[in-house]
Amino acid sequence: MNRWLDRWLTLMLLVLLGWAGWSCLHWLWHGADWTVVVTNLPLYAVGSYPEAERWRPLLCIVAVVVLIVITLLGPRLGGWRRSLPLLWSAMAPLGIWLLAGGLGLSPVGTQSWGGFSLTLLLTAGSGLLALPLGVLLALGRRSDLPVLRGGSTAYIELMRAIPLIAVLFFGQLLIPLFLPPGVEINRVLRAVVAFALFAAAYIAEDVRGGLQAIPPTQREAAAVLGLSPRQSLQLVVLPQALRVALPSLTNQAVGLLQNTSLMAILGLVELLGISRSLLANPAFIGRYLEVYIWLAAVYWLACTAMALLARHLEIQLDPVRSAR
Amino acid sequence: MTIAIRATDLVKSYSPGLNALDGVSLEVSAGEVLVVMGPSGSGKSTLIRTFNGLETLDSGSLDVLGVRLDAAHEERQVRAIRERVGMVFQQFNLFPHLSILDNISLAPIKVQKRAKAAAEQLAIELLDQMGIREQAHKYPAQLSGGQQQRVAIARALALDPEVMLFDEPTSALDPERVKEVLDAMRQLAKGGMTMVVVTHELGFAREVADRVMFMDQGQVVETSDPQTFFTNAREERSRRFLSQMM
Repeated sequence: MNRWLDRWLTLMLLVLLGWAGWSCLHWLWHGADWTVVVTNLPLYAVGSYPEAERWRPLLCIVAVVVLIVITLLGPRLGGWRRSLPLLWSAMAPLGIWLLAGGLGLSPVGTQSWGGFSLTLLLTAGSGLLALPLGVLLALGRRSDLPVLRGGSTAYIELMRAIPLIAVLFFGQLLIPLFLPPGVEINRVLRAVVAFALFAAAYIAEDVRGGLQAIPPTQREAAAVLGLSPRQSLQLVVLPQALRVALPSLTNQAVGLLQNTSLMAILGLVELLGISRSLLANPAFIGRYLEVYIWLAAVYWLACTAMALLARHLEIQLDPVRSAR
Repeated sequence: MTIAIRATDLVKSYSPGLNALDGVSLEVSAGEVLVVMGPSGSGKSTLIRTFNGLETLDSGSLDVLGVRLDAAHEERQVRAIRERVGMVFQQFNLFPHLSILDNISLAPIKVQKRAKAAAEQLAIELLDQMGIREQAHKYPAQLSGGQQQRVAIARALALDPEVMLFDEPTSALDPERVKEVLDAMRQLAKGGMTMVVVTHELGFAREVADRVMFMDQGQVVETSDPQTFFTNAREERSRRFLSQMM
């Protein structure tokens, strides 16, 4: 007797889903007005960067996209693979140089940075700062020295107990207080530093998990070969621990990218900031759905690229799998 | 004969009232193969781990290749010994993220500051000696237990040690893999290496050992030549142990 009820319920659900799907698609094709996105694509990419210099942030974005494609297709491109680590590590300084200028390029102040290029820079900048700091904190937390261990533990627990948005506000307000009068660091840098200080606490815990997964016998084996504790850490323990921690670190990286949107509240015009300012423009009033769907799509694309890269890295770093 | 290792009244305790080492004294001559036997928990592993400073001492003293180790020794003294004393573990303890070649050449390059090419050449020679030259570019996880243990022996030999310590080197192996490791050790003994071997392999002890030392409850029960030990052990405890083993 229940069979008929099941069938009826299934049918009704299918009809409901079909209707919902169709009306969504209908709205996307016919109801939505995408002019708000299409006409502002340059703004989404580079923000209010001076028009004559727009090629610089655009070049940045293109370089990152090209690098991602090369990396993912790497095995099929043979010779390119060797230079990839070098190219990736050159990306951050190159990006900052392109955006900020100097050394032959006309300088552009951070107040004109914006859009996707700013989102990329915030993510990469804070990630690159947070990773070494996180590793140091994880090592500190496992140290034999009580001061170091206590300090690291206190820092990690404190940072994890404060919401990110509060840390960001603190960063904007407090960092200037610690600097001598007259020295001023700009908003973007302050945001990156605060963000990195926050992320480092989480990264430290992921790295600590990785460190715990390495059996103490590995350290013993390194010790009996005469390696110093420092060499043992550098050559034996850390490379293995980071490999173990890689999936959780990927998680952090994706979180980092998405959390850069909080900086819109601090007045930075990254992706979300641009969207908010566009929605405040009378010409695009009420175009909330279009803007936020577009925003979701961009974040989704960026996060997917990151996830693919991370999976690629995991395979590359697995000695047995990459040796095949 | 020069003495490679001299231990005097070693005492080591992990928990109060229970001594893992309870006044152990012994001498190992250069070029000698000493096999240490005894029931589990008798302190044999703890003993050889004190020889290169993996375990600290509560009291007593050691003279290893002329370097003194005691309850108050410093890290520097231990490091001086470790380059000259090789060790092979029960669980191999290879570095899983490094290739076989890198496992072996790591310490010669980083500790002895040898040139990379020379260290790799040496590694290949040692692998050849162990009969596994073709495994050089694989990773530990791709090798059988017996092959991994032979790599571990090669890794220890790469530092050109004067003494080799073996801590139950065949206990984690499948029975059919034991022989290849014992053969490698036999070859090493023939070459005149000073060896201290903790093992349950009676055949190896009988054939290769110069002396067999039997331990129980942290103490040396008896030290005899293998002939005497296996046919006519002096102590009742040794005889009981042997009857359980055979």
